[in-house]
Amino acid sequence: MNETTSKLKALTENIETIIRGKPKEIKYVVTALLAKGHILLEDNPGAGKTVLAKTLAQSISEGAIDFHSANGGVAFKRIQFTPDLLPMDLIGSYIFDESKKDFIFKKGPLFTHVLLADEINRASPKVQSALLECMAENQISSGDTTFQLDQFFFTIATQNPIEMEGTYPLPTAQLDRFSMKISFGYVSEEVEFDIYSNYLAIGNGKNTVKQVLTYNDVIHLQEAAEKVYIHPELVKGIVRLVQATRRHTEIALGCSTRGGITFIKCLKAWALVNQRDFVIEDDIRDLAHPVLHHRLIFRNREASRTALQQIADLEVNKLAKMGIPAKP
Amino acid sequence: MNRQDNNDRFQQLLIRLVLVVIPTIIIGFITLRFVNFSYTALNTSLVSQTIYFAVGLTLAYTLYYYGARLAITFLLLWIGYWLFEKIINRLPGEFDVFYATARFQLYSTLFIFGWVFGFLLARIRWSYIIVFGLLATVTLVAISDTIDVSLTYILVHISPVVVYGLYMLFLSPLLTKRVEINLKRSGKLALRISLFALLILLAFIVTESLFKSDLKAVEKELGARGAKNNKDGSKNNDNNYDERNGLMEKGGKGDDGYRLKDTMRVNSKMSSSDKLMFCSKLDNYFPDGSPAPLYFVYHYLTRYDPVKETFTRDVNVPSFDEFDVDPVNLPMYYSYIDTTIFRKSMGDKLKKVVEAQVYLSENTWKHSVLGPANVFAIQTIPVEKDFQKTFISGYKITSYASELNNAYFVYNISANPMLEGIQDKRHEELRSVKGYSKIDNKFLNYYTTLPTGGIYDSISKLAFSLVGKDARPVDKVIAVRDFFLKRNENGKRIFRYSLKAGAVDDPNIPSSKMLYNFLFKTHTGYCTYYAGASLFMLRALGVPTRFTTGFAAINRSDKNKGWYWFYASQAHAWTQVYFPGYGWLDFDMTIGNEDQQNAPKPDGTPPLPPPEPWLVLNAKAESVNEKTKSLNASFSSLIFLNNTYALNKSFTRPIDASLCRILYNKKDTTFAAIHPGDSLIIVSYKDEAKKIPKPRPGVSIEQQVQDFPSPIIADEIHIRGKEKEKKKESGTKKGANVAEKKITWQEIALLAAKGIGALLIIILLLPLLYLIYRLLRISFAGNLSAKADQVYQAALYRFHMAGFERENETPLSYAQTKIDPALKAGFEEFMHVYLRLKYSAGTHQPEDAAVINRFAKNIGSSIRVKNGIFKSAAGYFNMALALRYFQTPTSTDYSTPSL
Repeated sequence: MNETTSKLKALTENIETIIRGKPKEIKYVVTALLAKGHILLEDNPGAGKTVLAKTLAQSISEGAIDFHSANGGVAFKRIQFTPDLLPMDLIGSYIFDESKKDFIFKKGPLFTHVLLADEINRASPKVQSALLECMAENQISSGDTTFQLDQFFFTIATQNPIEMEGTYPLPTAQLDRFSMKISFGYVSEEVEFDIYSNYLAIGNGKNTVKQVLTYNDVIHLQEAAEKVYIHPELVKGIVRLVQATRRHTEIALGCSTRGGITFIKCLKAWALVNQRDFVIEDDIRDLAHPVLHHRLIFRNREASRTALQQIADLEVNKLAKMGIPAKP
Repeated sequence: MNRQDNNDRFQQLLIRLVLVVIPTIIIGFITLRFVNFSYTALNTSLVSQTIYFAVGLTLAYTLYYYGARLAITFLLLWIGYWLFEKIINRLPGEFDVFYATARFQLYSTLFIFGWVFGFLLARIRWSYIIVFGLLATVTLVAISDTIDVSLTYILVHISPVVVYGLYMLFLSPLLTKRVEINLKRSGKLALRISLFALLILLAFIVTESLFKSDLKAVEKELGARGAKNNKDGSKNNDNNYDERNGLMEKGGKGDDGYRLKDTMRVNSKMSSSDKLMFCSKLDNYFPDGSPAPLYFVYHYLTRYDPVKETFTRDVNVPSFDEFDVDPVNLPMYYSYIDTTIFRKSMGDKLKKVVEAQVYLSENTWKHSVLGPANVFAIQTIPVEKDFQKTFISGYKITSYASELNNAYFVYNISANPMLEGIQDKRHEELRSVKGYSKIDNKFLNYYTTLPTGGIYDSISKLAFSLVGKDARPVDKVIAVRDFFLKRNENGKRIFRYSLKAGAVDDPNIPSSKMLYNFLFKTHTGYCTYYAGASLFMLRALGVPTRFTTGFAAINRSDKNKGWYWFYASQAHAWTQVYFPGYGWLDFDMTIGNEDQQNAPKPDGTPPLPPPEPWLVLNAKAESVNEKTKSLNASFSSLIFLNNTYALNKSFTRPIDASLCRILYNKKDTTFAAIHPGDSLIIVSYKDEAKKIPKPRPGVSIEQQVQDFPSPIIADEIHIRGKEKEKKKESGTKKGANVAEKKITWQEIALLAAKGIGALLIIILLLPLLYLIYRLLRISFAGNLSAKADQVYQAALYRFHMAGFERENETPLSYAQTKIDPALKAGFEEFMHVYLRLKYSAGTHQPEDAAVINRFAKNIGSSIRVKNGIFKSAAGYFNMALALRYFQTPTSTDYSTPSL
């Protein structure tokens, strides 16, 4: 426990040296990583999405397989999504090898550990679905061959909430593949001043980012996250919460069962990130919005802002009122 | 604010006027109605009362809805009132008559009430509770004044207010927001209102069924005669009469059921309600055999109430000679003599005994005997069957009348030489009275009381200007009479008789202001004006005088000698003046109506005299034989040839009822209705076929009863319920019963007050009790996790009551963000332990107990350090705070979609 704690602490602190003033968001990202999920960042340009992804990748050393980043960390690839992007551009394609007189597969940028899919909503649905298959199945199919991706495959997708013309908004079914959707928002005045004062040091991340974790550490952490204890009463609360989203009249589409499973996974990871080996009610409240909100379709703007929070508050309050349950 | 906003606001106002103001006006009307029943002083038109209330309410509601300032509007209102009063007081003539009276006070009070209600309803959300409480109190007070209070009665009277309260309860949540006029909202509203209507309907059905059972019971008794009605004495007053039953004299103190509420309406509108009130055969004749009519007295108004500015009846009157029974409700052949009347009439010169039969129609004035002055005996008599449609009941009365009284002195007509002769003789006789030096001071003071100052002084001055210094009482009376008969230089009468005196719809008895105007300005009025004015003047001159209401008997034709017919238009008011030795004498100052020729009302056919009974038995049925229609009756008192006897032992005689009329509650029934044990009045008429024993003087009545024929042939049997039950409640027990009832009523009120008080105290103490409960739970907690749980619950409660309310945050973040920064209670540390105990898989750690105990000790002290001892203790009496703790957070709306 102490070991995992210190490692996690090192990782978050390491990222925090680069991304200032966003400890919670960093935790979310780490949580998504530990829950073996993927994360969607929705924010304005220049909020630090790319830097975050990059820093995360650079903080982890000793990639397992053949792809490594330049500084020896795990592989990090970034794809700028545009409308004319094709699935091939992601996956790779067969090209003719003159010397072997054969078609060989040229791997695309998806073969990596940390993938930054920038402005994912600008690409055509075809490309989006190719990416999402990889995210869901952890494998790539091209022609008759299926390539297994590394078990440490973490996608950070971003999208801009502005300039929606000519975009292909992700359908809810695909949003469902992301464990979390968070937005950064701007930092406070002091933090921003701090950033401006040290922009040189931050700007060139290559030099400053330390490698604090190994590839294996991450795999171990992921295993540890799965072992985090979640009390049956909390699971019951989550069931009630999920069902409430389905019954709620202002929510057109409630949370799926997959959403619920993801929620539990994320809760466990979140507990670990918060240096606990058990989940508590606060976790539900903290994670309800990033994990569940993008899976729901609300009937109106007002409901979009309040309905989920209301349901979560209600369930958390029930749990808080509940006495200590008998040990199962 | 733009136009549309204005329109919208106005629309909202209209909606609120319909939803709030109109129901309030309706409930105001109903409450005023109850109040009017109880307090005759208010006896003005109910509709106009309501209108004043409604205008105040609506005006205030509108003003305050548009955000008028409270202080300024009240100031303006007061200034307006003050100016109005000032101006009005300057204006001469008819106008001020109305505004300076009690009625103006009443109306302005109602207006202010409406105003205050309007303010409350427009501004304060829960104000309807105040309004409801006020109206309920007023209603309760109003109805508690009635004599026969039954549960049903209270329910029926209080239910409108309750309905109103419920209605407002239903409505108030809607009014907090803008009331939308769209389909869905209206649907919601309609749903609420229809639900409410359903509720009312339900309530009505329940009430009606309550009533129905009552009615059914009565019907049943009428039909098959359950003979148990008298058991519940609260319902009707019959029992009061049973007590001094039929043939007994009224012994001791009777009920002082002095119904001050009975209204006297001297009808000012002749044609509209010229109904037959009653008819009477009065055995009073002049020596030449021509009928001599008398005034029929209803009530004496002895006290002038300067606050209400009207004449009122009074309870504590020295030597009060009014005969107090309600003839309509008396049992048949009931006879009652009040010999104290002789003494109370305070005069025995030229007195004679006059007998009269009175038959009452349905329209008659209730609750008091109508008869010539100083009735001292009454006996109810049946109405001949053919006349029962016209007359509901009849009675025979005997009066101790003065020979100096005569209704021919009506209207002071001075043209008739015969009447003038009588009048002169009367005056001559009375001139022997020199003054009032010898009579009881208390009596004299009471009947000469007159307020002083202002207009009363002017009236006194006028009165003194009419008489010489040493004038005898009768001369004073004559002077006042002549004052009204004065003519001006053109030979025209100064005073005129007119029914259209003063404002329309005046109270029937004029106020002092009106009388002042009548005497000095208008010189126009009807009987109450003349009576009131002469009462003032005579009292000013030191002559004991009282205001008398009743009827003037008018002899229209000699066809039926001695019969008089009384119509509503004959209602009259006059004065009675006391002359020592002679008693109270009628003096009617009202002058004749020169303008109007009164079309004579025709006399009706007098009802046939009922057959005269030779024997009336106050008996009890011992055994009943339905086949032969005969029964055995035991009796110990009887009327034998108009003489009442009480027997020294009880006799039992067979009664033959084969040709008999059986009555229960004055309605015909069958022989089967008589059960053994019933109390009966058995009547046998004088009849050719019967052998009637002759009274034998000198022989004891018991002996005579021995010789009565057997069986006694009955012609009428009146059933009066069971003897046994009556006995149980009779006599002193009955009185005690009444007293007991009263005490119970008070006790109930006291109990209710105590209960409510106790409830309030308990409610006030509830938060503290809950704290004690929580602390006890801590000390009784078994293992560590249970203890942690209790500490946790107690901590949440105590921090909440210390003013730190947890909103939507989880307890942990509550501890982190609110409690520990403010109180440094170590809550967060505890929460970590607690959450671990609650949710983790592992067991507790050794230091946990220490953390929990430390925190448990720390809670109270940390709060006290922050808030101080007093404030932290006082916090537990903050109901709103405590209530919020137990409130479940507003749950999300799973069923109704928003728009």
